[in-house]
Amino acid sequence: MKAASFDRSEAPVPGPIRRFDFPRVTESRMANGLDLRIVRAARFPIVTAMLILDAGEWAVDSTQAGLAVLAGDALEGGTARRSATELAEALEGIGAGLGVTTGWDATTVTVSCLAERLGEALALMAEVVLEPTFPAEEFDRVRDQRLAAIQQRAMNPSTVAGDHAARFIHADGVPFGRPVAGTEETIESLSGDDARSWLGERYCPGGSGLVIVGDIDGGELETLVEGCFGAWSGTVEPSDPVAVTPRHERRRVEIVHRPGAVQSEVRMGHVGVSKVTPDYFSLLVYNTILGGSFTSRLNLNLREKHGFTYGVRSHFGFRRNAGPFGISMAVETAVTADAVREAMFEVETLVNDGASADEVDAARDYIVGIFPLRLETTSQLASRVGELIIYGLPDDYHATYRDRLRAVTQKETTEAGRRHVRPEEMSIVVVGDADEIRAPLEALELGPVEVHELA
Amino acid sequence: MAVLSIPVERYELANGLRVSLSVDKTTPVVAVNLWYGVGSRNEREGRTGFAHLFEHMMFQGSEHVAKNRHFELVERAGGSLNASTWFDRTNYFETVPSHHLELALWLESDRMGWMLPAMTQEKLDNQRDVVMNERRQRYDNQPYGDWDEYMQAMVFPDTHPYHHTVIGSMDDIAAATLEDIGDFFETFYIPNNAVLTVCGDFDPERALGLVERYFGEIPRGEDLPPLPGDPTLEPSIGRTVRKVVEAEVPLTRVYMAARVPPYTDEGFYAAEVAASVLGTGRASRLYRSLVRDRRIAKDVVTFAFPLTTGSSMFMLWATGLPSVTPDELETALDEELQDLVTVSEEEVARAVAMTETQFVRGVEQVGDRADMLSMFDRYFDDPARLNSEVDRLRAVSPGDLKLFTEAFLGTDNRAVLAYVPKGAA
Repeated sequence: MKAASFDRSEAPVPGPIRRFDFPRVTESRMANGLDLRIVRAARFPIVTAMLILDAGEWAVDSTQAGLAVLAGDALEGGTARRSATELAEALEGIGAGLGVTTGWDATTVTVSCLAERLGEALALMAEVVLEPTFPAEEFDRVRDQRLAAIQQRAMNPSTVAGDHAARFIHADGVPFGRPVAGTEETIESLSGDDARSWLGERYCPGGSGLVIVGDIDGGELETLVEGCFGAWSGTVEPSDPVAVTPRHERRRVEIVHRPGAVQSEVRMGHVGVSKVTPDYFSLLVYNTILGGSFTSRLNLNLREKHGFTYGVRSHFGFRRNAGPFGISMAVETAVTADAVREAMFEVETLVNDGASADEVDAARDYIVGIFPLRLETTSQLASRVGELIIYGLPDDYHATYRDRLRAVTQKETTEAGRRHVRPEEMSIVVVGDADEIRAPLEALELGPVEVHELA
Repeated sequence: MAVLSIPVERYELANGLRVSLSVDKTTPVVAVNLWYGVGSRNEREGRTGFAHLFEHMMFQGSEHVAKNRHFELVERAGGSLNASTWFDRTNYFETVPSHHLELALWLESDRMGWMLPAMTQEKLDNQRDVVMNERRQRYDNQPYGDWDEYMQAMVFPDTHPYHHTVIGSMDDIAAATLEDIGDFFETFYIPNNAVLTVCGDFDPERALGLVERYFGEIPRGEDLPPLPGDPTLEPSIGRTVRKVVEAEVPLTRVYMAARVPPYTDEGFYAAEVAASVLGTGRASRLYRSLVRDRRIAKDVVTFAFPLTTGSSMFMLWATGLPSVTPDELETALDEELQDLVTVSEEEVARAVAMTETQFVRGVEQVGDRADMLSMFDRYFDDPARLNSEVDRLRAVSPGDLKLFTEAFLGTDNRAVLAYVPKGAA
């Protein structure tokens, strides 16, 4: 190997930083209440339109769990003007993909296409949302697909772990305790009429927003949107508040028995915190240090030191209501208890001793720096602007986002972590071979250990 | 008119490193992307999975960069980074705020030139454990996770370098030694077996100077050894090969594969359009027939792998709804493949329109764009080919699809793999 001709041992000094500003968002509200936000991004001849409906699964009654998701899925079933196949042909003929995603807080209908096709794509999007017919044959088909997807979830160790963790963390009656797309029992009970009445209540311009990002001319666009969505009317009624309460006050270990499993899927978590918490920015920093980056404490220990796992992450499920906090990893069966012990050690050490000044600096620099990297595409920008609508965040949220992160101190980071990460309250859910992992997990003495059979 | 006009300037250093520079000052970020001409096809017998394990070792430090330092520096700079190993190549990439371009070039050059002094048995043991857990997570503990092991073994003979998967076998991963690392590095990780792309917000003159400074003194390596085994192939499998696997899966699923012309052959465009007509979107043939009209499948997927050695692989699969048998799925898929001899102009236009939108979306980020430029540089010696790729897809006619279907999608060139739930067979 050739010796270097100059000293390579020092990292290069960065050049002068180039300013980054969040693109300008033009805002208006249509007469029917629809919140319209337009961003011009002209690098490529492409556009993303994202309609955000206040129709999240959180607002669905538990007896109909999965209704918001299923209704969103079934939008592809056709409209007053087109059959399902005609609709797909019309969209795909102009190269437009239409996607519907439904989460706890919103249903989002997204269409991406070449900019020259935006007029046609928006008209089709409006038709899908305003005039769906849910023909019985199509609705039943989509429901059967969803039932099959639920069966698939039940045999995938990773989704089994996620679904069980949600259930063990939350008290009965808290929507977050159930799978977001419902259960076999609830989905089987749903009909096209249920979807129609859900749309009547929740697919309304008052409470919804339309974000359009791309190579577009703002002036003509408002007329276009008015033409597509002007006749839409109604407003979403706010739903009754539900408190997010835990199932257990004290730490427990729940083993879901999967005989012969070569790995254990581990989830460790508890009730978390809402997206609109004043601790939001401190918690972003805190989570980056704990398990939100490659060089986090958890990953460096469990992956890079011990080789227990391909990767481990921690995550705050920031939602309108308090989404869960949790750690997730897949670990070799034989080292399951070792991995849980090390993960618990990292959580407890960070809570007890706090984060170091250097860690806080590094984490802050990481999240501040990475912000523009995730704002390159029209759909990334649309999602970011959409967050303002879903969470009711102020207009200057993105303009001040990085300054607010930079202002987070070491003390605030540690204190926010102590408020929102509580190792002694965690539900530790392990999907794996109970015959192999039960005794070592019991020996950790983390709390009561219970074994459950896989449903 | 071409939908893309991405600028590219090309250079070659004296040591053989090919360099593409593509400026875009829209956002103050820059991507550095390296494609090394080495992948699982270069692995010798008894060392399957090694190219991928080696990729992991590339993140374990180099002479001037301590373990974990690579990740720490890029993350602290506000960058993202990763790498991936594939049949024909291994890529390494980072996207960083543009004022950190030099950092990325320093890190990439240090491991290209000075990786070996940092290698230790302890690091190798650690990453072997990590990779074994990656295999368990993605293959062994995952419904249908091992489909490509079966499929590659059915489509490619055991003498061909695509016969085994990128992840490799547990035994082979366990057998890897530090000596293997040294040999592999000296053989494949040389500037004349790599292309480097810088894409985003930078000054080209300065960037070229930095590339020369950091990579210029890495010595050129020897010509690559021939591929192990026999990379030549008959264009067709010659018959239908079948396998039924009873496994811990919730629903029956049938995979089908065929040998098709390699990615670098003109004939591959028809394969891409055929995959799109069959399976992209809800107006596609398989969705319409198997999912919507006949209601036997939960989902359908089609894919034309971009492989370069001898043949590539055309793939489709359908997941059955409960109580649907593998035979029903196979018969339905077979009918759709046979019917592909007759395709309307409208269907082709729709497939191309969908592909065009996906293509533009696929280059919106400088990181993805850099990766595409590296690929076209590596496979075609022409990164700017990216700009005219959609035109080549647009040139595919219904007649071309007919010829493609007749030549490659018949029962004489087919592998069929069926997964059935344990206890249901």
